[in-house]
Amino acid sequence: MKARYGMVIDLDRCTGCGSCMMACAAENNVPSLPQASARTGLTPMLVRRVSNGGEGTARREVFIPIMCMHCEHDTPCVKVCPQQAVEVDKATGIVMQMPQRCLGCRYCMTACPYHARYFNWWDPSWPTGMEKSLNPGVAVRMRGVVEKCNLCHARLHSAQAKAAAAGRREIDSADYVPACVESCPTAAIRFGNLADQNDPAAQEARSPEAFRLLARIGTEPKVYYKSKEAWVRALAESNSGPPSVIERAEAHNG
Amino acid sequence: MKISRRDLLVWSAGAAAGLIVTPVPWKLLDDTSIWSQNWPWIPQPVRGPIEVKQTSCTLCPKGCGMKVKMAAGWPVGVAGLGSHPISRGALCPLGFGVHQLNWHPQRLRFVRHGSQISSWNDAGAAFAKACNEGPVVVIEGYPGRAASSVLETFSQKQNGSYRVVLGSETRALEAYEAWSGVPTSSLAYDLESAKTIVSFGAPLLDGWGTPGQFTRLWAERAAGKTNPQLRLIQLEATLSRTAARAWQWTSIPVGSESGLAAGVARVLLEERLVAAHGPMPSLTLAEAAAQTGLSTEVLRDLARTIASQTPAVAIASDDNPAVAALNVVLGSVGARGGIVRRSKRTQHYISADAELPSARALLVDASVPWDFVPKTNAEVFRFAAWDGGSSKADWLLPSPGFLEETNDIPSTPTSAIETYAVSPALTKAPHEVQSAAQFLCSLDPTFTTAEKIIHSRCEELFRARIGALQAQERTPVAKFDSAQKIDEQLSKGAIWTGGPGIPGFKCVLKEWPSVNPSDSENSSTIWPAPVLPPLATKLYRESSLREASEMRNA
Repeated sequence: MKARYGMVIDLDRCTGCGSCMMACAAENNVPSLPQASARTGLTPMLVRRVSNGGEGTARREVFIPIMCMHCEHDTPCVKVCPQQAVEVDKATGIVMQMPQRCLGCRYCMTACPYHARYFNWWDPSWPTGMEKSLNPGVAVRMRGVVEKCNLCHARLHSAQAKAAAAGRREIDSADYVPACVESCPTAAIRFGNLADQNDPAAQEARSPEAFRLLARIGTEPKVYYKSKEAWVRALAESNSGPPSVIERAEAHNG
Repeated sequence: MKISRRDLLVWSAGAAAGLIVTPVPWKLLDDTSIWSQNWPWIPQPVRGPIEVKQTSCTLCPKGCGMKVKMAAGWPVGVAGLGSHPISRGALCPLGFGVHQLNWHPQRLRFVRHGSQISSWNDAGAAFAKACNEGPVVVIEGYPGRAASSVLETFSQKQNGSYRVVLGSETRALEAYEAWSGVPTSSLAYDLESAKTIVSFGAPLLDGWGTPGQFTRLWAERAAGKTNPQLRLIQLEATLSRTAARAWQWTSIPVGSESGLAAGVARVLLEERLVAAHGPMPSLTLAEAAAQTGLSTEVLRDLARTIASQTPAVAIASDDNPAVAALNVVLGSVGARGGIVRRSKRTQHYISADAELPSARALLVDASVPWDFVPKTNAEVFRFAAWDGGSSKADWLLPSPGFLEETNDIPSTPTSAIETYAVSPALTKAPHEVQSAAQFLCSLDPTFTTAEKIIHSRCEELFRARIGALQAQERTPVAKFDSAQKIDEQLSKGAIWTGGPGIPGFKCVLKEWPSVNPSDSENSSTIWPAPVLPPLATKLYRESSLREASEMRNA
């Protein structure tokens, strides 16, 4: 059976601790270059803080982790890539980025409505000796390519290898958990196969409180959010109304 | 045939145009992008056998359970240990990059005497000379460890003094010691049984206590629920992370926490919302309202809300006797869902914040937060794994970093459950390091080493036959046939757990503590290292997740 891996992030549970960002960066060997800034750094998982715009005790804030949404339909980055460096894996639904093919033209960054893609402006480097702390399961990417969340594809490979060694064709879902999901101290991120109607993540994605960012553009993201708060759900769309969560967060970040 | 300049230009333009429609330039571009991945200066991860070890974090006293992925003997990744009874698979955000710290550019690699590089021999000679000339004061940050025992024994032998730098969570429990006689080190919060938690600025969802303990509890019982089983009421000046997610947030001016606690206690007693457990505060409701900027009706509503779902417990961000007195009024001291006694130990610590006795030398353990600067004229020997600068230490001595020495982890400061864990040395330091306990044992071979003390503690557990070892499964200690096996299991990441906290001790408050409106709350979470993992520095810089003021160590 073909899978459609995705996640549902319960924003009512997110405390904005940043564990997912740290775990993601450590898992994927993201370099901590001192010259990088908010505009030029790599943050495949980025927790943004947005508010309802209220003042005093009427102010409400919520933390929204934003990463590649793994769009299912008319995936904007796939459509614009001149190098076929981005593709939607038919077996998993994961939007894959292949740095070996990437020319660094950054069309995909322009096309991504979620601003979830990052460009490697510099050769990766670490303080002397710190390369010994890199995750051997993930290759270090080179300067001049675009990168993004790939749902910890290396962990999927490990799960597949484990299943193959045990003579199974299907992976055990417990063996494939992305780093951000594993690290969340409030279990706010639920990951699973959205194509499996019995999967808890798929069930949560169908909840009336679930929503997707910029759903109106029809890219069918596989990352869902969930909140009981109406003002949070209203952030998902910009249209002609209030600014979207991405615009608000970026305004907040300066 | 004569070739004109014009022919040459036309031919060149044609060739250039023709080349574009051939695959050559595109293939070259493609190949260049592939070749450029493999420049020799691009760092490559280490290759080698991969194994996952279970252990506990030793960088702060909270001792969260960890799974450490090792490749060729080096830690290359960290994740939470789900079977840990307190942290329950969670870590603080910094914990996910903690394996980078051993390679931090500010790692202390040499013994330093003033601004000069020195040697361990010189440091040993200088310390031995100081010991012969007068008393030595020892200061540390994680009391109760085997290494602490070495430090304390040494200070006694030297007629010196043993002082402890306590975290803000522990300091918040200090007031009860005077009223109940139970040592602060034995007190804890029974959060699992509480139904209302009133936080006076304590960052409960932002690193307070063992991060997984409260966040997991909050996620299960409170997050996103309109009428939760666990109400979190946050009383704080700004919309902090905890306030943003609290069931109720009330904004009060900084420094008015004591006045608010007194006002709430007055309403509780006046309206008989609780059985009278303490004296009436001298502060009137109007005075409390004036201090907090809230109306008297808001204060009354707050008190009624707190009393409507009990057990309720108030938590201060630091030492605050008025908040502690509110707990006495609520009947939460010595009761389930409130302040309980973790163990019957009677170890009393003297805070290093108190005036230090005059001494010839001062030994500061690496567990003391870098921010702590002792006020003394004595010669300071400071152990540290990282150099944060401006230490004012005469001697700076490189100590082991993350997982570079065997350590033990006694019960975590806020948890009502007594625990004991061992964190073995899983990796080697890239240069010569010694902990303060190892240094003292090397100077005086008659001292029992920390490793031997850990083993003797395992023997005590075996003889007492109390509690159980929690690994993938829970095994009662009574089922082990030797102390050696307990030691082995603990070294593999199992955690010993005792019983739940003990309620039922008496706490007598004769008069309401003085309320000083200028009391300022200082809620800092202990991060003893002067540096953050480089990834944390990067992510805080590149996101708006933390304010600049929170990045002072970055």
